[in-house]
Amino acid sequence: MSFTKVAISNLRRNPVRSLLTGLSLAVSAATLSVVLSLDKGYTDAVTNDLVNKTGVHMYITKEGCPIEAASVIAQGGLSPLYVDESIVARLKKIPELDAVMPFKLFAVTTDDGTRTDIFMGITDAVGKIKPDWRYTAGGWFAAPDSVILGAEMARIENLDIGDRMYVEHFDAEFVISGILARNYGQDDGTFFMPLATAQALVGREGKLSAVALKLSDISAMDTVRNRIRASMPADYFVIGSRELSDGILQFFSSTRAIMFVMVGVAFLISVFGIVNTMLMAVLERRREIAYLKCVGAGKYDLIRLISLETAAIAVAGSAVGALIGMILSPVSGHLLRQFLVAYIPSGAIARPDPVIALAAFAVCTLIGMACSLYPALRAAKIVPMEVLRNE
Amino acid sequence: MNNGHIIELENVSKNYQRGPETVHAVKNVSLSVSSGEYVAVIGPSGSGKTTLMNIIGCLDHPSDGRVMINGREIQDENESGLTRLRQTSIGFVFQQFFLIPTLNVIENVTLPALFAGHKPNGRGRDLLEKVGLANRMHHLPGQLSGGEMQRVAIARSLVNAPPILLADEPTGNLDSKNAGMIMDLFGKLNADGVTVVMVTHNTDIVKRCNRTVHIEDGVIRQ
Repeated sequence: MSFTKVAISNLRRNPVRSLLTGLSLAVSAATLSVVLSLDKGYTDAVTNDLVNKTGVHMYITKEGCPIEAASVIAQGGLSPLYVDESIVARLKKIPELDAVMPFKLFAVTTDDGTRTDIFMGITDAVGKIKPDWRYTAGGWFAAPDSVILGAEMARIENLDIGDRMYVEHFDAEFVISGILARNYGQDDGTFFMPLATAQALVGREGKLSAVALKLSDISAMDTVRNRIRASMPADYFVIGSRELSDGILQFFSSTRAIMFVMVGVAFLISVFGIVNTMLMAVLERRREIAYLKCVGAGKYDLIRLISLETAAIAVAGSAVGALIGMILSPVSGHLLRQFLVAYIPSGAIARPDPVIALAAFAVCTLIGMACSLYPALRAAKIVPMEVLRNE
Repeated sequence: MNNGHIIELENVSKNYQRGPETVHAVKNVSLSVSSGEYVAVIGPSGSGKTTLMNIIGCLDHPSDGRVMINGREIQDENESGLTRLRQTSIGFVFQQFFLIPTLNVIENVTLPALFAGHKPNGRGRDLLEKVGLANRMHHLPGQLSGGEMQRVAIARSLVNAPPILLADEPTGNLDSKNAGMIMDLFGKLNADGVTVVMVTHNTDIVKRCNRTVHIEDGVIRQ
């Protein structure tokens, strides 16, 4: 016989109530696990898209809110702000820059509103900016009307090298010159075309969305940024790719706040549920607890017994919840993708993460255990003869 | 104090506060019980029987006076000291059986040993044999009759080998046949040297005891 056995046998007295209490904690653990997965997953995905995969260290954009600029660039909208192409020649003279790629980015929504295509005008500097660019077929632009398709676009459009592609919005026809290998980034869903062609399509000749810069030595970033800032017109911004992703993540912070409030509410419900269950369990057994005191149960024995009962519920509920949360993370990431307004990363927003599941399990177990404190103290304070005589 | 007495109360009073009123539940009571005695405590409702049992059972401190149980003065003991005294010196049997329904008979019997922090080492089985329930040790309380449940409760009260057994109306919930069996069991335990103090209204039980203590209005009238 052990205290644990007695505690678990006590839980078996009302299995439905114990199960429901465990489930309420499981919901909290699952919610926490999912929210932490989404938070980490989204941050990682944005950083991966905009910092790790692009190979871009800095962007030069026109003045405005840098977060708004980040959002506009990331979402591919046609920003009213533009950078004059004349600065590219000046930038190319800076020796610390390994690559300078001016680009024009815009999005076109189909007439029926069901799809938005992203077009990007680029130069051959893209080879240095994106060293992992690989073609599954074809290659670089052969003519001004050439386009290179991201892997997903080629799949959706079912196009091959040499095929012609008509874009109704511009009433223009393009020839497929290359199809990119899938890189699980934003490139997969983009139409690439020569910079001059892209500028002409939207009537912005000599104007750029931004200029992407790659440094020879990343440690020189601050120095180079300061030098560029000094040489640029006052209304130009030099934004690090990290700042760009941080800006986007700031947009996400309100969503994150709502998610954590949701976790808080789930916890609050669980806490009340557990305290209520354990308090009921104590009050229902007042006479029995009084008798246990008579036969030598000290107050610490009773605190231990009630805490073990709660611990059994907390451990089981938290473990089940954390596991469910881990399984549900990818599904929730898919759902969140449909509601994101700031930036939709290309990769998975949330993946099953055992470390997060373990953290959710630990937090929920601790909270569950804390809930035993009040009922356990109530049990310890029972005056045996008063209860046995009066009830 | 002591003089070979296992229970000794000297000028003990117990007062309770009930709102603005002070209740004098026990007034200046002196009582000595020798080891191996079989004592019945009788008296009308509200006479102070339970309060007296409460103090003898180390569940409460007296407001005044001295109490010695199995050689230890309880007014000097703190809560954990009283708990320890209950674990080692006193067994309780009540009208209700207070068996834990999800533990089987042997687990119920050995439960006080868990609180006392020692292994029963077969004592549970021995006690169940003594009360005639060795063949039911793996049954749940719900599978036993009232008389059997009370025998389990008695076995449980003795698992830590206390020299004193306090019983509060132990046959109150039983029919006459089972009540007779339980009283026979108390008689056997007393014959084995256990000191029994029993609160009862039953005159048949009183006749089986060595001594009767009559308490009324908080005062002993022997």
